[in-house]
Amino acid sequence: MIDIIHGIVLAGLLVSALYIVRCRDLLSAAISFGIFSFLLSLEFYILQAPDVAIAEAGIGAGLTTAIYIVAIRGTTRWEEVSG
Amino acid sequence: MTMSKIVRTAAGWLFPFILVFGFYIVMHGHLTPGGGFQGGAVIATGFVLLIVAGSYGDISRRITKASLSGGETLGLLLFIVTAITGLALGGTFFANWLADGGLIFGNPVLFGANPGDLNTAGVIPIMNLAVGVEVLGALSVIVLYMLSGIAEEGA
Amino acid sequence: MRLLVTGAVVLVLCAGMLAASVGLEYGVPAFSDMDDYFIQHGQEQTGGNNIVTDIVFDFRGFDTLGEATVLFTAVLGIGLAFRKRKEDEEYDYE
Repeated sequence: MIDIIHGIVLAGLLVSALYIVRCRDLLSAAISFGIFSFLLSLEFYILQAPDVAIAEAGIGAGLTTAIYIVAIRGTTRWEEVSG
Repeated sequence: MTMSKIVRTAAGWLFPFILVFGFYIVMHGHLTPGGGFQGGAVIATGFVLLIVAGSYGDISRRITKASLSGGETLGLLLFIVTAITGLALGGTFFANWLADGGLIFGNPVLFGANPGDLNTAGVIPIMNLAVGVEVLGALSVIVLYMLSGIAEEGA
Repeated sequence: MRLLVTGAVVLVLCAGMLAASVGLEYGVPAFSDMDDYFIQHGQEQTGGNNIVTDIVFDFRGFDTLGEATVLFTAVLGIGLAFRKRKEDEEYDYE
């Protein structure tokens, strides 16, 4: 059972990380980064590191997403297409 | 820019619970998973929720940068002073001079696996509190600074 | 062509992660003398129950001090970057 959940979490990590890299909408990428951090904290919890899981959930999923969204509000939402 | 009334009310209701949970993680750092850094991050998440839900002008009246960065400085100073007191009392830097002393946090710890007593561990809870206050001030004041820089440009 | 290479890299990464996660057993970390010493003597030497906090705040207190200093310096830098400028102060970034 735990193997299946672990596999799903790892696959979700890969998908959300690829979406962050590929996506041109920076706001979607920031939200996807929040999902990535949440899945990473779940992974830490599965690997029996609850300390790191709490820190990752608080900082990664909460604070970093807010900081990125505040930063995006100061610039434009869409990534520029270069060459 | 400000969020809708629903979001603001929900954030106001949620904030005290996040605060209690964060301080629980900080104060039980020597018994359960968590500690100063993790608890401070959770409390800072609550502050950021409040900051993001309201407008900048509304928030900067209730939560000032000076108080948050003052709390951060106070936490770091408390941490260093606690560490240096161990040196002054004849031990080493970071010596646990409160453990088994009978004062606050001074109960002797039971060896082996046990459910734990909040009133043990000497200076470790005090350092947890210091780091918690520091992290809470630092992480909230970062978001507040960034929001103030954007509000200045009128975006 | 690029898509094929990307897909191949992703597949290899997926397979590697899954193979690594299937081969290991949960809760059985690699053996080390340091862990044993901390687990056996941590409680009596620091007086705390949670061994992780004992290590972070007592055995490795200097690391925590450095971490707190790094956080303080980061906030100092951000405050410098986003501070309020005076009316007649000129921007000179280039």
